[in-house]
Amino acid sequence: MSWFDNLFGTVGAGPLVSAADMQRQAEWKSFLQQQRLPSFVEARLRAAASGRTPWVATMSPAELGLARARGIRPVTMVSGTCWFHYGWSWTEGHGQGWREALARLKEEAAAAGANAVLDVKMRKIQLAIGDSMDFTLVGTAVRIDALPAGNDPAVATVPALEFLRLVEADIVPVGIAIGARYDYLNPTFSLSGIRIDGTTRPFTSTPLPELGRFWEGIRRYALVDLHQDAQRQGNGVLAHTHLGQLFKIEQGDDNPPRFLGRHIVIGTVIDTSRATGGIPYEIRAVVDMRDDLSPLTNPPVSGHNAYPVREQEGAI
Amino acid sequence: MSEAKDIPVHALERLRGLRREGHPGGIFTSDFSVNEFLLVRKAGFEPIGLCVGSCIYHLGIQYGSWNQNQELGVLSQAMYEARELAMTRMREEATSMGADGIVGVELTVKRLEWDTHILEFMAIGTGVVHAKGHPGFKGPKGQPFTSDLSGQDFWTLLHAGYRPLEMVMGSCVYHVAHQGIMRSLGNVGRNVEMTNFSQALYDAREIAMERMQNEAIEADAEGVVGVDLHEGSHNWQPHVIEFFAVGTAVTPISTEQDASVIPDPQLVLSVNT
Repeated sequence: MSWFDNLFGTVGAGPLVSAADMQRQAEWKSFLQQQRLPSFVEARLRAAASGRTPWVATMSPAELGLARARGIRPVTMVSGTCWFHYGWSWTEGHGQGWREALARLKEEAAAAGANAVLDVKMRKIQLAIGDSMDFTLVGTAVRIDALPAGNDPAVATVPALEFLRLVEADIVPVGIAIGARYDYLNPTFSLSGIRIDGTTRPFTSTPLPELGRFWEGIRRYALVDLHQDAQRQGNGVLAHTHLGQLFKIEQGDDNPPRFLGRHIVIGTVIDTSRATGGIPYEIRAVVDMRDDLSPLTNPPVSGHNAYPVREQEGAI
Repeated sequence: MSEAKDIPVHALERLRGLRREGHPGGIFTSDFSVNEFLLVRKAGFEPIGLCVGSCIYHLGIQYGSWNQNQELGVLSQAMYEARELAMTRMREEATSMGADGIVGVELTVKRLEWDTHILEFMAIGTGVVHAKGHPGFKGPKGQPFTSDLSGQDFWTLLHAGYRPLEMVMGSCVYHVAHQGIMRSLGNVGRNVEMTNFSQALYDAREIAMERMQNEAIEADAEGVVGVDLHEGSHNWQPHVIEFFAVGTAVTPISTEQDASVIPDPQLVLSVNT
């Protein structure tokens, strides 16, 4: 408790802000505007890089042991946050928000002398403010002895154990790619021949071609966007998060409704040589005898909480 | 107790003594699963009893200025102190049992239905002793070590050449400033970063991380493993958020094994999916 007392001194109930706090706030402000890390953050990262302070890692003990055996040392936890207001476009805002957060995460990792960030999770906090959201990435910066320190650390959404498996198979997770697309549809009805606004419904079962094409187009564009974003970083992408929403927007009694479709795809970018393949291990087929929860048949939840793909209970 | 014949006489006596105190008949209690129990034993430890610490805490009231990003020190301190009290009481129970440490610690916070200002903090874990009485596994200042790692992870950690010291944590309750109406109007129809909100999250997270790290430094740890950093709100106003970082501080075992002897895991594929 002693350090806590030192930090707080005498705590008053009033919302007074001390000069030190003001100084801190000013440094954060200039960081967000000019991309220069605050002095106290930089000091923490440098101390971690030099080994003067304990390393901090999200790794499990098994991962820690294996990482050590492979010459990978944990340095510290790094993060990137961008609270983004999507007044113009929700969909593109998500792309912009994540890309900014990614750049900030990399900046912290580079300051910590790391050449990779593992176990990167996409997070958001439960606080809804208008048309905005916080885009947060948190991960463990590591130093891989076999690789030179650089200003462009690899960003892997997989935990250390999976990272090692991939690297041993000559597959390097390098980054995060985002594909996003939205569009509006004002149905013409003449093309489809069917009133998809629900006022007249045919009795026959039939596809809705106009709406179907519209929705398919959005998904395809999002995937093209993902492809382009991935191309800048590596030569493959494993898309793990897909979020598609199709809204019907009523326009009053006199006008037919419009439709808004939006789709976001996010994936881990990998870089791999096409020539070799396979992993340097035998795989044993086993029968898992457990009836219910088994890590073999029930993979653990990913820890991303930014999109409601897998809802999970978080804080204690 | 089929292993009993391998254990030196003085250790057996010690174990018996431990079991006598509060555990008549030499019965231990533990919330271990079967696999956890097996692996803790394989690691050379014996469970002696469940250790519990609990703290029901009344949180004071503190409001942030409406348009100011700031830490709510009263709440930060309260959240920290309540957890620390629960942990300390758990550790005291472990000490009285003569445990070398506590594994599988669960630290929980519960709201109570009837008062929004009262929170229940609880720490529970299984006290263990080294089966052969090795004295080198204590935590800082000769106290029992604490760790939120499961029995399986405990075994793995020892095999990776580390031992747990103590659970370290950092808490920061933060008020995220509201945005003025003029500022909001300026953003209508634009895609822009809301820097004051970004700033609030950065500041709060950094404070929580710094505090956890300071605890690790005090514990003389080499590192902190299994860190969990998360955000929560406990019946507070919507703009008040707690960032909480927790992990297990570890230090290398003095006879550190070479990294090359850490065995490769085997890959298996479950065929009964």
